[in-house]
Amino acid sequence: MNEVLVTAMASVTGLGPDLDTTWRRLLAGETAVRPIRRFDVSRYSARNASWIEGLESRGNRSLLFPILERLLDGFDPLPRGCRLVTATTKGCIDTFERVRKGLPGDVADIPVSGPLTWLASRLGLDDPGVNINSACASSTMAVARAAAMIESGRADAVLVVCMDLVSEFVFSGFSSLLALDPAGCRPFDRGRNGLSLGEGGAALLMMNAETARRKGIPGIGSVVGWGAANDATHVTAPARDGCGLILAVRRAMAKASIGPDDIAAINAHGTGTMYNDAMESTAFEAVFGSRPVPLNSIKGAIGHTLGAAGGIEVATGLRSLADRTLPPTAGFREPMENCVFSVSPLPQPIGGIYLLSTNSGFGGINAALILKGNPR
Amino acid sequence: MSVSVVAGIGWVTSQGPGRGRAAREFSMTAGPIPPVNREDVFPEPNLRFGRLPQYSRVGLAAVAFALRDAGMEQWKTKRFAGLVASTRAGCLATDIEYYNTVLPEGDGPPSPNLFSSTLPTCFMGEAAIQFGLTGPTLIVNDPADDGLGGVRMALGSLSWGECGTMLAGHIDLPAGPAIPGIRPRWTGGLFMVLENARDSIANGYGTLDLSDGGAVLHNGIGVAGLNELVRACLAFPRPS
Repeated sequence: MNEVLVTAMASVTGLGPDLDTTWRRLLAGETAVRPIRRFDVSRYSARNASWIEGLESRGNRSLLFPILERLLDGFDPLPRGCRLVTATTKGCIDTFERVRKGLPGDVADIPVSGPLTWLASRLGLDDPGVNINSACASSTMAVARAAAMIESGRADAVLVVCMDLVSEFVFSGFSSLLALDPAGCRPFDRGRNGLSLGEGGAALLMMNAETARRKGIPGIGSVVGWGAANDATHVTAPARDGCGLILAVRRAMAKASIGPDDIAAINAHGTGTMYNDAMESTAFEAVFGSRPVPLNSIKGAIGHTLGAAGGIEVATGLRSLADRTLPPTAGFREPMENCVFSVSPLPQPIGGIYLLSTNSGFGGINAALILKGNPR
Repeated sequence: MSVSVVAGIGWVTSQGPGRGRAAREFSMTAGPIPPVNREDVFPEPNLRFGRLPQYSRVGLAAVAFALRDAGMEQWKTKRFAGLVASTRAGCLATDIEYYNTVLPEGDGPPSPNLFSSTLPTCFMGEAAIQFGLTGPTLIVNDPADDGLGGVRMALGSLSWGECGTMLAGHIDLPAGPAIPGIRPRWTGGLFMVLENARDSIANGYGTLDLSDGGAVLHNGIGVAGLNELVRACLAFPRPS
């Protein structure tokens, strides 16, 4: 079995146009959740989201493309034969909105194959690529897929690109479900009252470790475990007993051949909704017992970026392991009931090399990744 | 790649619903899909089915028929089986229906019920609940447009040991005149129950495998698209 390294990564979030800026502002406990100017929110239950400053549509095309351009600007050259796996839930949803409003827009961008084909062409890849949609765990599943392709020898290098936009389509939907916190989301806080939406993207170059060593390419860290499972309980609400997440985490740990005591920190999905955060706390307690593992969510800072969330969190998770520091949970003030884990509005030290990163989504979907930092 | 067995096939196409052991022919084309009613799928009342949009009904029905065909519809304990399908347009028809409730000229507030079905995986969540399926759940889009992206993905998962059973297939509905220019090559839903050959006891429709280049092989012979694959399966001699 081949070891899977992450050798390059980039991210664009509401906190910044690159990973360094996002990381610095995450550590400072800042949030990009602020009033939306992109569309009229007066009809909805909240006014805020984390959106990216200065995105401009060119030729009536989707705002997804300038996000992708920012991601790829200055990204490391891709090795020959590199495969492409993307993750998005709604792709060029702004183009869909334009067309439905009778405004000009390129209809070819609406199916997800639109941005996928654009990316493959922009990168000069022979592989036409594949997009994975697994609700809010889309990019977690994409990273898992890429890792499995490399581990099994079916690919030597895979570029994972994940992306999603803040749109009225999605905002109105979560508003109709009464799932938005008007005050901005507060993951794992006693007073949490819903999520905040966000937009962004991440690019992760994953490579067979042997190939990377041969080429003298240093690894940032490794993806050593992955697992996915469905609650089979409810379409929009998580299973209260966390059965799917427990199974996903246990499968990921089995894949990594490690036990619960090896996990040094948890990057949780942490949307700030009443039921998600309670479910995660229940699931993690079932796996880790009462050990107060440092746990965080970055969604108070960059919002819930939907299909991009897992990929961005792999990038910040690997930075966490490299810097031995788990970023603050923005919005968190007072611990929620019955949570044994260490959540903090301040950075927390990490005392080990394995970080668990999880995401869950509509349709009962749960996915877990185990990241390994480079030992110093 | 390790070999997988096709244990069951079910579908809803423009010609109506069907499943492998009750049919001799199969054709998925680009035609409109007739409405799918609860009585077509479940003999007993089903509280959720009637509230689902057409995309979700088609997907859930195809999964139900595939499991029925494989003799796996009934269950007592949840089972670690995954769901994966390829699509071109996904749930675009549902997106249009939902967004009509968002537009200012819509006749009411945005519909939370419809919004809950605006992810192409949502019908899989319904199927997971209905049939106790706890494996990985995902939709794939690829430009190949041969309708086999989901099958390819499932064969990978089976060979890597991610799952012992996967329901794999394809789903698409016509977008209609609301979004002109998006015409999926195949419309309807089709699912196959695939089992790892090592563990399968199914009296099935032959084996599936992936070539090194990623081609889908039925009993070792390459198939070019969804129709060819299903027809090869139906032509596979099996005891009645």
